[in-house]
Amino acid sequence: MSQLRKDPIVGRWTIIATERARRPAAFVDPQSTISDRKTCPFCQDIASPGIYEYHGVKVFNSGSPILDSTQPFKRHTQGLYELAHSYGSHEVVVETPEHIANMADLPIGQIKAVIQTYALRMQTHRKNPSIEYVLAYKNYGVAAGSRNIGHCRSQIMAVPVLPMRVDDKIKGAQTYFDCHERCLFCDIVSQELKNKERLVVENDDFMVIIPFAARFPFETWILPKKHHCDFADGIKGAEDSLAAIMKDILLRFKIGLNDPAYNYMIQTSPVKAPAAFKDNYHWHIEVMPRLTRVAGFERGTGFYICPIPPEMMADFLREVDIHA
Amino acid sequence: MPELRRDPVIGRWVIIDSGHTKGPLDFPKEDNTPTRQAVCPFCPGREYQTPQEVDAVRPGNSPANTSGWLVRTIPNKFPVLSSDGSLQKEGHEMYDQMTGIGAHEVLIENPDHDKTITDLTQDEMKAVLSQYQGRFRQLSKDSRFKYVVIFKNFGASAGATVEHTHSQIIALPMVPKTVLEELKGSEHYHQQHNRCVFCDMISQEYKDKERIVIENSSFLAFCPYAPRYAFETWIIPKGHIADFANTDEITQSHLAQILQDVLKRLKKALGNPSYNYYLHTAPIGYAHSERYHWHIEIIPKLTRSVGFEWGTGLHIVPTFPQDAARYLREAQSTN
Repeated sequence: MSQLRKDPIVGRWTIIATERARRPAAFVDPQSTISDRKTCPFCQDIASPGIYEYHGVKVFNSGSPILDSTQPFKRHTQGLYELAHSYGSHEVVVETPEHIANMADLPIGQIKAVIQTYALRMQTHRKNPSIEYVLAYKNYGVAAGSRNIGHCRSQIMAVPVLPMRVDDKIKGAQTYFDCHERCLFCDIVSQELKNKERLVVENDDFMVIIPFAARFPFETWILPKKHHCDFADGIKGAEDSLAAIMKDILLRFKIGLNDPAYNYMIQTSPVKAPAAFKDNYHWHIEVMPRLTRVAGFERGTGFYICPIPPEMMADFLREVDIHA
Repeated sequence: MPELRRDPVIGRWVIIDSGHTKGPLDFPKEDNTPTRQAVCPFCPGREYQTPQEVDAVRPGNSPANTSGWLVRTIPNKFPVLSSDGSLQKEGHEMYDQMTGIGAHEVLIENPDHDKTITDLTQDEMKAVLSQYQGRFRQLSKDSRFKYVVIFKNFGASAGATVEHTHSQIIALPMVPKTVLEELKGSEHYHQQHNRCVFCDMISQEYKDKERIVIENSSFLAFCPYAPRYAFETWIIPKGHIADFANTDEITQSHLAQILQDVLKRLKKALGNPSYNYYLHTAPIGYAHSERYHWHIEIIPKLTRSVGFEWGTGLHIVPTFPQDAARYLREAQSTN
């Protein structure tokens, strides 16, 4: 049985996933091969019933789940240490019946269906009182942690603890709100729209920026211009413009950066006590091409070295011709 | 001039390394293993090719920047922070930044190009650690700095770009986030219990036993209870001591022994993996803290972190620490 364990010093939870338990020799990098339609497991799966289906998007329980909810969630202590079994859900979202690798190549309408699927799954998971957080994210390409199968998919995890980085963001936003009575992200939106040097692209509802203190080359945030703490509720009425701007930025990566591996993750408010986050948190999406490796200094200190100024990255991405 | 910027949401500082900006297409999609350099600037006899050394262990008292050294520390030729200038802090509306002041040094661990750190003799390893300590002490005197990080990247996928065995040193004008989290956490624990959380962890590790890899009279090597990475291993002094720079010579020889032992076990158990290690010690000026406890964290680079981990800080580890510890106990630490 997998476990959730809490670090007693900094309070960080870790998932120990025994279903994937590996002996030391098994840590060899698998040579990945790109499947064709005939060998692609997701092309086969698309015929079988998933747990949810919406406009050509199908949701399945992960074949190698890191979390499971067959037993009720319970925390224990072990002397100084705190643990729980890794309760929760782990789902795979197959984004299209077509054998297409990169979301950038999906029609806007299909990206919209994926976004709506995320929202619907989040709404389902948050009804479970043991769930603290739901994360929808994508790994594209081997360097981003994905198997190279060549079929668009993303993942959803519902977890019973508040992950540390989410907690950091929420605390930061809370502290700012306490000082200013304004949402930190709304202030970022207005400052970035005013000086424009880190703005990549915008439409009526969203903007894409390179954050002022980017950690990685071409780290990018998609920010809703309108304040809302929650993704599932906040996108209502803006699904088309979110799909359009996601396709836009993913095409800029694909064309401008030569089809890099990338991750994106939706940062939304915790599912419990929504009233506590209503005014001070602001959902957004982080999109990160995986171009550099993280070395010892970054891993040891949490201090990142970004080899290119954010303003220059924004310049570069603005100038990519996505209609070429 | 590189720049330090603070993320306004979570308060994390980053270095924007504009000094040697790369074009967007300069980033390799996949690094390959380093090829052996025909002409290695870290080898003896090529001292003139590197920046002037800042320190060295020279058993025969040979002059600086000539051969005859056992360990040699030079400024990084492409530093991520600049050591010249004063620290200027400013705000741009809601954003904070400061000038990228700091030090970035390379510590060449041995003259022999073909040796890795696990091939060093016990005395050679001791010389490396005493140079670590010397650089800590020296850099701590600079009032612009608040923290000194010593770390090693071994193997291409852990970020090493030069084959010749070396460590790196970075001095920073602020305490970095991960260390700050440990400091805050141990402060909080001390307020509640009036004891050091690391000392309590050591006693629990002795009680549970299953996560211990190896020990000697001064140090314990164990796989932490809630690791971030598979086979993550910590080496911690058994007695309470906040600051690495205050360790004595005997302790350092014990550290040389256990560090090499653990690295050899990782090499054996995991088939010469890439890894990083780094030293976490008290910030400059907090040498006698009752709350903090210096240690070394070793993290083999076995898996790629996926979007979920980047987005949440919730790491997914595929091996239980007690299993990792058992594999490492069973791996003989000979080469």
